[in-house]
Amino acid sequence: MAQRGSNKKVANGLVALGSAAVMAVYAAGYTRTRSAADGFNRSEGQAAERRPGIPPPARTASPAEEFIPERAANPAPALQPNLSASAKLAPAKKEDQVAETMTAPAMAAVSSAAAPVVEAKVEPPAAAPAAPNPIAPPWKDGTWEGWGSCRHGDIQAAVVIENGRIKSATIAQCLTRYSCDIIDELLPQVAKKQSPNVDNVSGATQSADAFYYAVYDALLKAK
Amino acid sequence: MNTRTEAVMGTLVSIRVVGSGEEVDFAVERAFDWFQEIEERCSRFDPDSELMQLCGQPGKPVVASSILYEAVGFALTVAEETGGAFDPTVGYRMERRGFNKEHRSGETVRSAHVAADGASYRDVELDPRRQTITLHRPLTLDLGAVAKGLAVDAAVRELKPFRDFSIDAGGDLYLGGRNAAGELWSVGIRHPRRDNELIDTLRVSNQAVCTSGDYQKRSPDGGHHILDPRAGTSANSVASATVVAPIAMLADALATAIFVMGPKDGLRLLAEMEVEGLVITPELERFETRGLRRAA
Repeated sequence: MAQRGSNKKVANGLVALGSAAVMAVYAAGYTRTRSAADGFNRSEGQAAERRPGIPPPARTASPAEEFIPERAANPAPALQPNLSASAKLAPAKKEDQVAETMTAPAMAAVSSAAAPVVEAKVEPPAAAPAAPNPIAPPWKDGTWEGWGSCRHGDIQAAVVIENGRIKSATIAQCLTRYSCDIIDELLPQVAKKQSPNVDNVSGATQSADAFYYAVYDALLKAK
Repeated sequence: MNTRTEAVMGTLVSIRVVGSGEEVDFAVERAFDWFQEIEERCSRFDPDSELMQLCGQPGKPVVASSILYEAVGFALTVAEETGGAFDPTVGYRMERRGFNKEHRSGETVRSAHVAADGASYRDVELDPRRQTITLHRPLTLDLGAVAKGLAVDAAVRELKPFRDFSIDAGGDLYLGGRNAAGELWSVGIRHPRRDNELIDTLRVSNQAVCTSGDYQKRSPDGGHHILDPRAGTSANSVASATVVAPIAMLADALATAIFVMGPKDGLRLLAEMEVEGLVITPELERFETRGLRRAA
């Protein structure tokens, strides 16, 4: 049974809850980002640990406060006794405090008002059972091909890897019921701006799915 | 303007930051790392993922990473708040209807265990003190929507200091600050019936926009990929459901939920949650929340 007892809709509670959950995950950090963080530290000539935000140049005064929208913080604070504290703790300056508080599961802190709030809790050692390769090998340079399919037919993608990064992804073969011209038109949408008139498009197309799968297939071979 | 695209989580993820520099590069790197990490832990398609390991041990409390614990916890809360319209335990039924292709390899995967029919989110218990998850019946959790949203939200944390940025995870978006022209970001909503056409355009800032449509990922029997957990067949009174919310994880889960609930109940739920949304029916009728057009 799920823990939450109340059947009442907590107006905006989900926004607050979601924010807290993201904060908890973020604060707990993980091994993989070390590679990137190490790169950053090397170039900076220092050895800070990757934890609640290596503070990049702050363009906003308090980025973390922005994250929890005002209207989430204002109504019904009584429901989430810990949330406002979480929001305030977020700035990276108070790193120790953040780490201590945030690793406690947010779900517990926010949702079960009656339950005692958990003590500061360190990520259990057993918590990383399924991380066989913490640092992903970069893709091998070259051109790799893969197949994907949708109900319109099959598409073969060619992915060019340069310096371990995807340089380009194109359609190598198009075995769909429609002409390749139609598919070609989809191509620029996949990686770039998806429409000339808007910045982004919400919702994926199934036509693009086949291409996505083909790119995956190709990237598997590049490992 | 700095754009980077990678294939992860069954889709292409694009991150754009208005501005450039070494700090931007490292932040974008870390943002992508979150996608990798969360996919590895929460994938239903990888038998070695932490999620599938958990699903293989029904009946006993399993210690979970923060990522898995918070993702499952949030999914259960949304399930409860939506009366089960969103239910992360529909995994096994999804498999049986054919949504079982591993995105990357194309191999068909099957859960090694057999799910008990009638299993629901109520059969999942969290212990916040020990950070354990217990499945009281054999079942497969599907964290698809929530995991992708969580990855977007974690990436947002990395990019927030740069203020103006966008994350596009295969049509699940988060738009931070403003675009390169200093305007609110414009977001096109894909037409549910015509490829390459938009049915609407929204202007947003510091919001996630997620759309669930019946045009995505059809199963071999012709049904679409959003299952009504209460009935076992595909929901069909909505062609496309868009939710605008400050958290991608929430926008994604609620888009799935209102798809199942239908336009009227769905919009009522959004109003209660104080998030905005747009629902298009198969007849292309539109329903939207009152605040949708209000400038963000």
